Amino acid sequence: MSVKKRRPLEGVRIADLTWLLAGAGGPRLLASLGAEVIRIEWRDRLDFLRYMPPFASKREEESTEKAEAMDLTGLDTGKVQSVNRGGYFNDINAGKYGISLNMKAPQGRELFKKLVAVSDVVVEAFTAETMQKWGLGYDTLKAIKPDIIYMQQPGWGYKGPYVKYASYGPIAQAVSGLTEQSGLPAPHPPAGWGFSYMDWSGAYYCAMTILMALYYKKRTGKGQYLDCSQVEPGIGMTGTAVLDHAVNGRHYQRTGNRSPYTPAAPHGAYPCAGDDRWIAIAVTSEEEWQAFVRILGNPDWAAQDRFASLAERVKYQDELDRLVNAWTQEQEPFGLQERLQAAGVPAGVCQTAQDRIERDPQLKHLNWLLPLEHTEIGTWPIKDIPFHFANGQVSQGGPTERAAPCYAEDNAYVYKELLGLSQAEIEAFQDEGVI
Amino acid sequence: MDGFLFDVKVLELADEKGEFCGKLLAGAGADVLKIEPPGGQATREIGPFYHDEVHPERSLYFWHYNFGKRGITLDIESPPGTDLLKQLIAEADVLIDAQPLGTLEKLGLDWNALQALNPRLIYVLLSPFGHSGPWRDYKANDLVHLALGGQMMCCGYSPSDDGSYDTPPIAPQMWHAYHIAGNQAFIATVGALIGREMTEVGEMIELPVHQAVSVCTEIDVPHWIYGQTPCYRQTGRHAQPAIGPEVQFPTKDGRYSIILPNPFPGGYETLVGFLEGKGKAGDLGEDTYKELKNRRGRAFAEHFADIQAACVADFDLEEIWHEAQELGIPWSPIRLPEENPDDVQWQTRATFSQVEHPELGESYTYTGAPMLPNECAWRQGPRAPLIGEHNREVLCEQLGLSAEAVADLQDKGIV
Repeated sequence: MSVKKRRPLEGVRIADLTWLLAGAGGPRLLASLGAEVIRIEWRDRLDFLRYMPPFASKREEESTEKAEAMDLTGLDTGKVQSVNRGGYFNDINAGKYGISLNMKAPQGRELFKKLVAVSDVVVEAFTAETMQKWGLGYDTLKAIKPDIIYMQQPGWGYKGPYVKYASYGPIAQAVSGLTEQSGLPAPHPPAGWGFSYMDWSGAYYCAMTILMALYYKKRTGKGQYLDCSQVEPGIGMTGTAVLDHAVNGRHYQRTGNRSPYTPAAPHGAYPCAGDDRWIAIAVTSEEEWQAFVRILGNPDWAAQDRFASLAERVKYQDELDRLVNAWTQEQEPFGLQERLQAAGVPAGVCQTAQDRIERDPQLKHLNWLLPLEHTEIGTWPIKDIPFHFANGQVSQGGPTERAAPCYAEDNAYVYKELLGLSQAEIEAFQDEGVI
Repeated sequence: MDGFLFDVKVLELADEKGEFCGKLLAGAGADVLKIEPPGGQATREIGPFYHDEVHPERSLYFWHYNFGKRGITLDIESPPGTDLLKQLIAEADVLIDAQPLGTLEKLGLDWNALQALNPRLIYVLLSPFGHSGPWRDYKANDLVHLALGGQMMCCGYSPSDDGSYDTPPIAPQMWHAYHIAGNQAFIATVGALIGREMTEVGEMIELPVHQAVSVCTEIDVPHWIYGQTPCYRQTGRHAQPAIGPEVQFPTKDGRYSIILPNPFPGGYETLVGFLEGKGKAGDLGEDTYKELKNRRGRAFAEHFADIQAACVADFDLEEIWHEAQELGIPWSPIRLPEENPDDVQWQTRATFSQVEHPELGESYTYTGAPMLPNECAWRQGPRAPLIGEHNREVLCEQLGLSAEAVADLQDKGIV
């Protein structure tokens, strides 16, 4: 019997008023599970990511964008050729529909209410009072659609004295404790995170929270209001350190790449031959140590008493690391990874994006990049969802089977087919600056 | 109030790869039953420990990652153990399996057999690299995953002026490879539970930690895809194609603060006004900087950062950031995790909760709900199970074994 594959969130519609990554990444994940996500944008205040490099260059010309550091002192929106060419935006919004809608216009808000009436979820990451100010608080949304799920994600959460405070990934990381927990021991400063981990985590918890509420609605018929923050999920990942303080009065101290709570040595990133090449090695047992020493070629130093047991190796790991460094820096990293892994030693090259995209045979085997077509820039690889369903149809193309929407790309579908507006009405709204 | 997943039964056969997902499912209200080998799961050996006593009931790691679950011990590889496992699977909604590859297959419980036992089962298979492929048998831990996944090459300290690095890439602690995989596994699991409402059939979900981790970096992948441009790690900020201005600066009390400008229109002017109020604006208020084009480029960015750094250096960590944030300037403290329970914001939101350990006669501060729902509640307890704490409850009351039968299994080392 052949059964047509179905998307787990088939029939679920999400009005998506988010932007950036922490907000917009959540509905991206829900689109991969099959939800119809309608991304709402307005031309006067577009998502920064539409202006952020890298850009897809037009086939016939060279990219004119020279890669620079991000400039946070002020956004220069006049610089880009088209708001539809940002590669980062394309990745974060794959699988979504896109419409233009001016929420500041009263008629725009009336149209939004029509969309709410046919949606299951409203999700937004405006500053806290914006929707109230527009007369679109939970009570209003609920009056339009009694079982609506309404999720607000201002940075620090709606309830509490910091309701107006701003949060971006680096801030959520700093406040939660995750930044302090990354780096070499003092007197080195924290190294923090080289990307917005809490933007991804914000996106995960956005998706997770909506999914929980959708399940609850399926089982009980009830919608609900959800007050989410970007910082709290970060706090949830520091729980062991919080407990160590509560129970033992201990303050967290960074240990670099060394294993803080499980005895292990060597345990760190070791330099290899080449420019800024490193391999992570983690030896946690006697068996792995023996195998490691064999791969090293049984050097005399490895037989010294002070490396005779795991406890001793941990105690003398400064010296051990120095000796391991001297050896690894002569080695080609990927060959060494193969040899160590073949001998049963956990080891992996510190891979760059290039390594993962062009070289990593396992990621290739798992089809981690999915070619998806974008209406303006053509087909580009998009990071696919990392879970593989045997029965359900789950992939980052979502119901659109497309990469990110161009600005206002799906106005016809949403306004005409979904909301039943006539062509004349649509044109009138366009002329009036509503859509 | 109900939990979101109030009627969901989860079985967990997991080490650190899957315990976080189980913890989240328990937090969301599911009944999560952790099945440990007799003597307890190996994750009970992970520190830190209560009063530094290395003991399987004293692991704070285990306490945190197994909060809100029930626990039984069972040697699933013994024939009576396999039989009991099958009975539990027949009644479960979700099975989280993060055991070494092939563990259940060897017991005759491959996906087909599992479906035969329970056609509605959601089977979640977490493995380091996946069930097939050239790296299938690779060994990894948190550090190795964060190396291969790309996190480490994004994180660390800035290079010297000549562009060379004298510090290694850094893996942020602690256990983030498994946090990332656990969050993704939760998304997949609840998505599948919703799908099951429609299809009435179960699902097998495979989630390789390596793939989950590899998709969780930010601009490094698009920069390579669209421009073959590498990104370079730099202290406290995004790895990018070029080294940008610093964003974290020491405070008067020897801590660090993070300083991000507000990039929205008017953000610059607000910041300058704030700095002027502190007598610390330097020349930022001069007419030439009123135009955005004069605020471009590396030299200005560094100057801008230096002036803010000099301001922060005059204050203790927690002193000025509230004032800045009230104005929409996103300055924030780089805190230790244990400083958050004292913050009024989290106290208002009940972000932390006190959890009782009756066997110790103590209660301790735990991290709690990651959000505030109005219709459902996040789980408040109980603390992680003791070894075999719910053996009787599950084996006798749920599966109907007699007390004698359980005693016999115990004698044989099966529970």
